[in-house]
Amino acid sequence: MILVGAPCAHAQGSAPLIVIQKEGAKKDSVTLTFRVSGAQGRLFQQTLQRDLERSGWFKIVQGNHATVTLSGSVSDSGSGISSALHCAWGGRSFPWTRSAQGQELVRQQAHQLADEMVRLIKGEKGIAQTKIAFVNRRGSNNSDLYVCDADGFNFRQLTQDHVAVVGPRWAPNGRTLYYTSFIQGYPTILKQTLGGGRSTLAPFRGLNTGAAVSPDGSTVALILSYQGNPELYTLHLASGSLVRLTSTKTGVEASPCWSPDGQSIVYVSDVSRTPQLYTIHVASKKSTRITFRGSENVNPDWNEKGKIVYATRRSGSYQIAILDPRSGGEAAAEIIPSSDGFEHPSWAPDSRHVVCSNGSSIYILDALGDPPVRLTNIAGKWISPDWSSK
Amino acid sequence: MSIRFILAAHMALLCTLLSLNTGCSNKKSAEANDPELLDNAAVTNVTDEQGNAVSGSRFEDMYKRVEGITFAPVYFAFDSYALAPSEASKIDKVAQHLKANASHVLVIEGHCDERGSNEYNLALGENRAQSVRTYMTNLGIAADRIQTRSYGSEKPAVAGSGEAVWRLNRRGEFALYQK
Repeated sequence: MILVGAPCAHAQGSAPLIVIQKEGAKKDSVTLTFRVSGAQGRLFQQTLQRDLERSGWFKIVQGNHATVTLSGSVSDSGSGISSALHCAWGGRSFPWTRSAQGQELVRQQAHQLADEMVRLIKGEKGIAQTKIAFVNRRGSNNSDLYVCDADGFNFRQLTQDHVAVVGPRWAPNGRTLYYTSFIQGYPTILKQTLGGGRSTLAPFRGLNTGAAVSPDGSTVALILSYQGNPELYTLHLASGSLVRLTSTKTGVEASPCWSPDGQSIVYVSDVSRTPQLYTIHVASKKSTRITFRGSENVNPDWNEKGKIVYATRRSGSYQIAILDPRSGGEAAAEIIPSSDGFEHPSWAPDSRHVVCSNGSSIYILDALGDPPVRLTNIAGKWISPDWSSK
Repeated sequence: MSIRFILAAHMALLCTLLSLNTGCSNKKSAEANDPELLDNAAVTNVTDEQGNAVSGSRFEDMYKRVEGITFAPVYFAFDSYALAPSEASKIDKVAQHLKANASHVLVIEGHCDERGSNEYNLALGENRAQSVRTYMTNLGIAADRIQTRSYGSEKPAVAGSGEAVWRLNRRGEFALYQK
């Protein structure tokens, strides 16, 4: 790890951030020696291999010198598989005995095994069973919402509205999405499950946007303007009780996101004239500005380990930066390598990978330095990705 | 009109609009215990910190659009919602129209150029619409005759990039509705 550019606590504007250059993260070698039969068995093997590589913690190797060995068999059982596997590393091991019918369950079981290996071998949360939502913008007031699995498979369209969709966000349950839609001719917040049912959350006067569900699922942070200019509010879902958190008569608020303990919210405000990041303690309504450098700092997302990823504009394009408000703040912020031109970051639940858009495609970046991976290769304008938390 | 009724009306409208592609109406009875559908229950009886109901009534839902009368858009500087002196006479014309037509109400639509965060732009567009609204209420137009809506950078008037395009997209538009 080489530090380029010294951090300067009092610098403004174009002061350099710490750019951490890495040669990619250190990986454990894995050898897959299990016997495979049939098309479904090969699907299981390919899915698992892709998941292990995408986890960032493993590299697949041939031969006997791997740190991790996965042995046994995955046999074809007609339209499915029957697996009897044994995963061994450093004197430890676990068995894996399952059966699955149909392509989708076969893929799902490969994801489960990959996540189990990440959990048991690396002590980290896996991402193979998670999903990513994003927006396809076709033109003026013409977008729709899409979703795919974290490995890019199961790509599907969730809305057929052909109107603007802004800022989809997953609820902590991993199956409900909140987003701003213009289907009624003005911005309202809609809530939609993967099953398809949906309802209107905020149809008030003026602006209704930015809905983000608290970690306990009880409360939505949102941006409303029915009382004047856009302000940050919380809405308790069960009681319908609405609380206004900010009172910035000359500024607007946007893009709220909850802290992992649910006590605070990070959001964008332009009360200082440019869009910058602030945190607010929900109970006391006390806010603190946390970014001062660059002309814009937007789209914050707070992960389980307490770090905030955001898009920062220094000169020209955005870059993706990470700061920890409890440890060094902006002065110790890091830029993700190769993140020039990326925006709208969203953490994976492993607190390591970040999904972003470069304005036309969705990419997965790695805070530990592995090169960006393109999620989809479909023509068009793909923006505003959000990674599910489970 | 209670908030519950208003929200129910919105739900009904949505179900009508969406039943073809999401099936939100026909699934309801068959899968009443589906956790996904329970998760989708509408939030009713929204109240503020003083215990007052929060209303959702909008001109777009209550009134008909007035066709055939258009006004010149108001333009804004980059990242600003301040009204330039050059734009004032355009708003004066809209105010005169509202004074002469008591049954007309107005929605001011705020827009941004494509640059920057589209979530922030949605808020900036709302502030642009509201600065026009404030100017008009200062001219004596009743506040309850003017509503705002922001499209942020979602609905550019002109496609493309560059300042020649962007300056035409940073705008406030006027839409009349009839009571």
